[in-house]
Amino acid sequence: MIDRFLYLVTEGIRSLWRSRTTALATTTAIGISASFVLFIAVLGENLSLVIDLARDQYEFQVFFNNDLNDGQAAEVAEEIAALKGVTSVSLITKDRAAEIFEREFGENILDLIQDNPLPTGCAVTLEEPAKGRLYVEPVIKRIQGISGVDEVRIQGRLISMIERYYEGFLAVITAFAAAVLFGTVVLISNTIRLSIFARRDLIRILKLVGATDRFVRFPFMIEGLLAGLLGSFLAAAVSYGFVEGSNYFLSLFTHYHIKWYIEPVIFLAAVITVFALFGSMRAVRKFL
Amino acid sequence: MISFRDVTSKFDSGAGIEHATFDVGPGEFVCIIGPTGAGKTTLLRLIHMDIPPKGGTVIVDNFSSDKIKRRKIPLLRRKVGMVFQEFELLNDRTVFDNVAIPLHVQGVGMKVVREEVENVLDRLGIADRRDHLPSQLSGGEQQIVSLARALVKEPLVILADEPTGNLDPAASLRVIELLEEINGDGTAILMATHNFSLVKDRGHRFMQIVDGEVKG
Repeated sequence: MIDRFLYLVTEGIRSLWRSRTTALATTTAIGISASFVLFIAVLGENLSLVIDLARDQYEFQVFFNNDLNDGQAAEVAEEIAALKGVTSVSLITKDRAAEIFEREFGENILDLIQDNPLPTGCAVTLEEPAKGRLYVEPVIKRIQGISGVDEVRIQGRLISMIERYYEGFLAVITAFAAAVLFGTVVLISNTIRLSIFARRDLIRILKLVGATDRFVRFPFMIEGLLAGLLGSFLAAAVSYGFVEGSNYFLSLFTHYHIKWYIEPVIFLAAVITVFALFGSMRAVRKFL
Repeated sequence: MISFRDVTSKFDSGAGIEHATFDVGPGEFVCIIGPTGAGKTTLLRLIHMDIPPKGGTVIVDNFSSDKIKRRKIPLLRRKVGMVFQEFELLNDRTVFDNVAIPLHVQGVGMKVVREEVENVLDRLGIADRRDHLPSQLSGGEQQIVSLARALVKEPLVILADEPTGNLDPAASLRVIELLEEINGDGTAILMATHNFSLVKDRGHRFMQIVDGEVKG
């Protein structure tokens, strides 16, 4: 059993080597196109990291009407805390606001104007979704609708904008990856087809001496699998080159550098290999 | 071992056989003679179940043409060796690798493959050519390699389709002698030839195909 398997794998490698010019062209085409997908995916991971960092620090302030006493302010704060998507609400009473003022400006506001004009309010943090964008606007609208709320001061519009772009970015990567995978199937399928025609003699002799269809097909599947695997390696190497090259240029202007992530590389390499196998299966079913 | 029961297999061109009924027993040496296009190759292809009969039944060992499933045909072919006029060798592989193919197909271990191939090459007198490519051999030697490939899997029967068609008289005689030697060890031989003078007076059974009718 193992001997037969090893023989078939050897035949697959031999077959790839025999059609090396076509295989090289296929591998290169898969490698180069997939390297763009990988590079964009790595950029996406980096962008995702920036967004996560921004999300962690994300909070906004809600100011209440000036005529609310501390008890009423606490009730409004509780109402906000009960809203869907709100993680925490930290109440800031007039006294607490005065303390913050003194800490930040070094002056006691009561010494300056004998009365505390600072409004009561609260700092609100939102729940981070496991995936997808942080939808700030609907929560803000609901807070603005609560009686006693005077103003919502938002610093998160930029995050929202980045997230919108990130979503678009993901859609582009997905479309691009789908195109590359489709191309992989077609390219591998054509390579195997050429290989089948080039090895008609072997196929005829194998059938003559009692080889099953599975035995005849297996080396061609191995051939396609190897071409896909080599294409994936090439893609990983080229995309790594892109990252390093980009970092060199970035280093001329900024300290920021693109971080290399192995996870999307492994994932895409595995997917490409599976699609390459699918391409070989398609060819052997059609032409053998 | 081989039974034809009212077998018909005719092509549009008119070539082929009609209502053929005969048996070939284990260890027999049968020469199928007839002019080119008479249906000799068709008869051998029917035994190999390369083509199904249009009528009647072909039985080889326990395999019957009217019952056999497509996926079982390879099992039958492992019991039947084939030799062709054009040798049908892989030109990019050595003699050893060509002869080893049927054993790899059967999933035989590498060690046994080496032993079996060495034995058969030795037996047919071409052990010194084991690392040669077919293109480095004479026609006669190539046909012996083809014979070794058929013999290595220890078949019940060897079907030889004009095995001497491309050979000079000396090489042809050598191939016939080897086939007789193999037959002497119990393997049945069915050999199609249009060269009657080569096989006459050698004590074999003859089957003649005339106008699609199989006689003998």
